[in-house]
Amino acid sequence: MIQAQQLNKHFKIYETKKGFIGSFASLLSTKHHVVKAVDDISFSVEEGEFVGYIGPNGAGKSTTIKMLSGILHLTSGEIKVGGLSPQKKRKEVAKKIGIVFGQRTQLWWDLPLRDSFDILKEMYKVPDEKYRQFLKLYDDMLQIGKFMDTPVRKLSLGQRMRGDLAAAMIHNPDILFLDEPTIGLDVNAKTSIRAFLKELNQNEKKTILLTTHDMDDIELLCSRVIVINHGQIVLDGTLEDLRKNIGLPSVMEIQYRVKPTTTDIRLEGIERMTWEDEKLVIDYDRSLLSSPLLLQKVTQWGEPVDIQMKEPDIEQVIQKIY
Amino acid sequence: MVYWILLQKSFMRNMQYKVAHLINNAASAIFGFVFIAIWVGVLQGKENESPYSALDMTYYIAAVQCILWLSGFLTAGLNIQNGVRNGAISLELARPTNYFLYVTSQEVGRLLYNLFFRSLPIGLVFSLTVGFYIPQHLPTYFFLCISILFAMIISINLHFLVGISACWTTEIDWAHFVNFTLLVGLGGQLVPIDLLPAPLSSITPYLPFAGAIYYPVMIFLEKISSEVILIQLIWVVVLTSFNLWLTEKARHKLEIQGG
Amino acid sequence: MNLYLKLLSGSLRSRMQYKMNFLVSSLSYGLIMAVDFVLLAAILQRFDDVKGWNLYEVGLLYGISSVAITLYRVFCVEVHNFERYMVEGEFDSLLIRPVSPLSLLLTKNLDLSRIGGTIQGIIILVISIIGLKLNNIELFLLLIYLPVTIVSGVLICFSLGLITATIAFWTQRIKDFQTFTLYAPFNAANYPMNIYPGWLKIIFFTVIPVGFMNYTPILFLLNKGGDLWNLALPPLVSIIFLFVALRFWKFGIRHYHSTGS
Repeated sequence: MIQAQQLNKHFKIYETKKGFIGSFASLLSTKHHVVKAVDDISFSVEEGEFVGYIGPNGAGKSTTIKMLSGILHLTSGEIKVGGLSPQKKRKEVAKKIGIVFGQRTQLWWDLPLRDSFDILKEMYKVPDEKYRQFLKLYDDMLQIGKFMDTPVRKLSLGQRMRGDLAAAMIHNPDILFLDEPTIGLDVNAKTSIRAFLKELNQNEKKTILLTTHDMDDIELLCSRVIVINHGQIVLDGTLEDLRKNIGLPSVMEIQYRVKPTTTDIRLEGIERMTWEDEKLVIDYDRSLLSSPLLLQKVTQWGEPVDIQMKEPDIEQVIQKIY
Repeated sequence: MVYWILLQKSFMRNMQYKVAHLINNAASAIFGFVFIAIWVGVLQGKENESPYSALDMTYYIAAVQCILWLSGFLTAGLNIQNGVRNGAISLELARPTNYFLYVTSQEVGRLLYNLFFRSLPIGLVFSLTVGFYIPQHLPTYFFLCISILFAMIISINLHFLVGISACWTTEIDWAHFVNFTLLVGLGGQLVPIDLLPAPLSSITPYLPFAGAIYYPVMIFLEKISSEVILIQLIWVVVLTSFNLWLTEKARHKLEIQGG
Repeated sequence: MNLYLKLLSGSLRSRMQYKMNFLVSSLSYGLIMAVDFVLLAAILQRFDDVKGWNLYEVGLLYGISSVAITLYRVFCVEVHNFERYMVEGEFDSLLIRPVSPLSLLLTKNLDLSRIGGTIQGIIILVISIIGLKLNNIELFLLLIYLPVTIVSGVLICFSLGLITATIAFWTQRIKDFQTFTLYAPFNAANYPMNIYPGWLKIIFFTVIPVGFMNYTPILFLLNKGGDLWNLALPPLVSIIFLFVALRFWKFGIRHYHSTGS
């Protein structure tokens, strides 16, 4: 469904001067350096795959998504989405793909959700019959019926994201690009959106490319993971391959009443221990060291006031792949 | 002195955009050229029927375009309405500072910036193209400073009035437009108010709008007795007291209703 | 077309949620322009004419110019406020649709509160046409031609707005430009071009061709000079200018495709 061959995207960064005339002056100036936002990336995605596209901020994720959807042109390389080049046939490709940017909504801010759908129906020329089926199906899957007549600005973040997801599916595209669809959502909202995406992938056979900062998204949804850093692919494989590289990274934070003296017990699976006053932060690998066992150990060291389990930072996870 | 610091910060904040503003000044000068062209066209061959010659009107419009940046183009509602909308006003009213001075000192900072980066450059453009009047008598400079100061205070008060009204109406766009229209229309931006048709020309000299634009310009051109500063002074006192009273009313209202 | 109607009704409904505010802001936009014209009337009542143009003749120019710019403000609000798409990075979401970004911008929103200015411009036109006391043939010609000059004016205004919006692809912010490219020229076009010094006239008949919209044809229609060419020029100039603006816009989009925000 998606073929990307030797993608390159270089940006010329001109030395910008401040202010208004400055922005013109830097137009004319030739002083610049080249940033390789995407550096010789190749991959292909087959029909029905659910691919997690992850990497630290500024690694080139968004640039890739923008190239796949035709927003950005390439410095060199070739892309085919559904057999067409998004650069040459942007509008045709737009009909084959659905895009969700988690950071910003594509719905009409002041209008009820229903009106946004009506407008998109016309924009993508969806037949009435198909449109009715769509509304029925997506009300079943996302329960959007309850807030169909509420202006978008009054929706909660979770409701808005469900609305955005449905809006991206209105023309029944085979391919979905999701740029951080779970960002900023609470646990409940994340769960319902994950369930929806899973259903979309398994029952409707949609091909999905997802970027995220949430390791849970990857573990629960993706059959395949592509990791990108500094514009290059550092890993392309199954979830198992990722596991082999990074294990099951977890973080535990323990607040002690008094800082314990004996903690130098060497446990297999602990990767890092850092102290911040009476607080101990442990990075460990859940595949090697079970959480209950670690919990047992830390209570032996001293008297904990508070214990928290945290999601690991994706930046740290990526570091381990080297 | 916290108000002095607020004033400085506001001045510096505007400095960031000075290049953009200088380009905008060119547009402001073009507005001036258009108004001057209208007057020169109107007065052609009719100068003896008019109390003003074409040159007088050129000087008049040029001076108006400069002073507009000090007492005409102020921030809508002095941004008080934003504080009302997001609730920050309750906090600001509760601070141990005088709210009226807190708001107005920031605007004064902006106006001082306007003096250096808008009024003076625009005046320079006019003096290089169509000419700019230079007062002949020394006392004029003294009276001019006082008159401009009063003009700024009057205009800041009018804008404060519009802004604080948000406590009762929440939406102030229309009030700002009405205020601005009266300010430029009855303040003498295009037509010196003594040239307005009969009923208007006898009322407008006593309205605050004349004190914001017309009087300082006429004092600058040495075409009016400096006693008009007294009219400005009355409005300064009346408007400031009224606004201070209104601020207390607003505080009272917010304390009862909780914003 | 269907899509446009959907958007139109949507925009109307979202506006109507703030009914009172909508009404008052429409009125106040109209009021500002009205006061401006009343002041001009006050001058001309006292001094009769400005370089041979009386109040009603100037009113004709004034009405055309204000109807043109306010129609642009009503229908092209997103082009006018294009700065937002660059500053907040929202332009991407226009490029993922199977429709051109410009059509999306033009159909996305309407600023109906500006219609107050349009109505006020039409009122000035009506008063001026009555006041001119034209004979039947002149009146007939003027009424026939009025839509042409207004459409030409809207096209010129739109082209200027689009060119200014395109600049945002490089500079992000354009608000300070708009005073220069839109507000000042359209204010100038409220009055006859013959009052301006030569260099201003050159600008208004070349790079910012607002002079063609009303001055050129009205000159001929009021028997003040010129020939039939004066009637052909407005549509001709506006279409050529629109073409230039669209090319520049396309150039800007290509720049965006290669650099992003």
